[in-house]
Amino acid sequence: MSASVRVADPLRLPLELELFEGPLDLLLTLVLREEIELGELPLRELVSATLSGDADWDAPTTGELVLLLCSLAELKARRLVGDDDEEEYGPDPDAELVRERLAAQLIAFAPFQRAGVWLRTQDGIDGAVRYRRVPLGLPQRALAPHRPEELADALARLMIAPPTPSLGHLNRHRVNVGEIVAELRGALKRSGQVSFDEMTSGVDRLAQGMTLIACLELARRGEARLAQPVAFGDITLQRHAAGSGG
Amino acid sequence: MDVMRALEALLFVSPEPLSLVRLCELTGHAPGPVQRALAELGERHGAESGLEVAEIAGGWVLRTQADLGPVCDRLRARPPEERLSPAALETLAVIAYLEPVSRPDITRVRGVSAEATVASLLERGMIEEAGRPHEGGAMRYRTTPAFQERFGLKGTGDLPPIAHFELTGDEAEAVRRRLREAGHLSDELA
Repeated sequence: MSASVRVADPLRLPLELELFEGPLDLLLTLVLREEIELGELPLRELVSATLSGDADWDAPTTGELVLLLCSLAELKARRLVGDDDEEEYGPDPDAELVRERLAAQLIAFAPFQRAGVWLRTQDGIDGAVRYRRVPLGLPQRALAPHRPEELADALARLMIAPPTPSLGHLNRHRVNVGEIVAELRGALKRSGQVSFDEMTSGVDRLAQGMTLIACLELARRGEARLAQPVAFGDITLQRHAAGSGG
Repeated sequence: MDVMRALEALLFVSPEPLSLVRLCELTGHAPGPVQRALAELGERHGAESGLEVAEIAGGWVLRTQADLGPVCDRLRARPPEERLSPAALETLAVIAYLEPVSRPDITRVRGVSAEATVASLLERGMIEEAGRPHEGGAMRYRTTPAFQERFGLKGTGDLPPIAHFELTGDEAEAVRRRLREAGHLSDELA
């Protein structure tokens, strides 16, 4: 039996019917206490609402539910056509067990029902005695002595407007590789050769990195050739004759 | 210091019931003289007085006489208290007799869900949380001093024995007979 696909108590299944809204166990109790007229209970809607939910019932749970629904159907049928069949075939032992449990539960709960009635007779709402509800006053804390000048100075500091908070960090810096590629192409077209250091002079590290990516992209496409004669020195981007039309 | 006058003053200013132990601490007198003084104070505040001394919710209070509630309410502009439904009273009875008790246990005793009723009683201050029996266990509930005040109880457990409300054999048989007559129980099992 898998706990993951099983509702702990199938009786807690919520129902929405025209006659009733609430959990199945409440409906059953009300029916058996005759607080809901069984003849008016739409059994087809009840079965449909019970079995059409999203719950992935396991076999024992489904069986229990079907048994309960069948018991309700049987009770309604007996109520409508009389109990002649029971005399002929005898009572259904499973349904009898359910009903016996109900009788035991009603008898066990009766003392608390009566205690509730007794509480109603003791309810002070009508007796109207009233209690003092005013809380005891707390002793006031004495303020430390301060000179008027100190208080004025403190107030003056409070009245200085704080600096406007910077929202600079909220602006996202965007670098478009496509725009850098187009810029490099223009420079190559004009002069045939571009210095990486000159192209990235004065820009931040993000733009420098994107410029290097743009250079590599032009080299990959065959539009330019990269040269770095000295390690860690300037990179030269030369226009490639074969890719000049790109 | 006159003990009775001191007690009268203490009960007048206290917003909550004062236990005998607390009264002894505050007045510096032994329980015997304090109890005698409380009895004398109660006689002084008889039916002709606007106040009465009462033992309620684990302590002693000075409260108004019951017939003066309406005139007191004019002073406070106090909204009328809502009556508790039969379901709320039954749930309250279950909690009062079985406290501390969890909501699943209440549901088991009542036979129907107690979720909404417990929430309502919590909101009205009739019950309060009483902790969990162990980590991960269901929260348990108990009645409050406000419950004891409202129902005139001297303290926790000041209720008639539950056996007083149990069905007699004849009454239990009558329940079974009614179920049988309604078609819910067969003659063999009833």
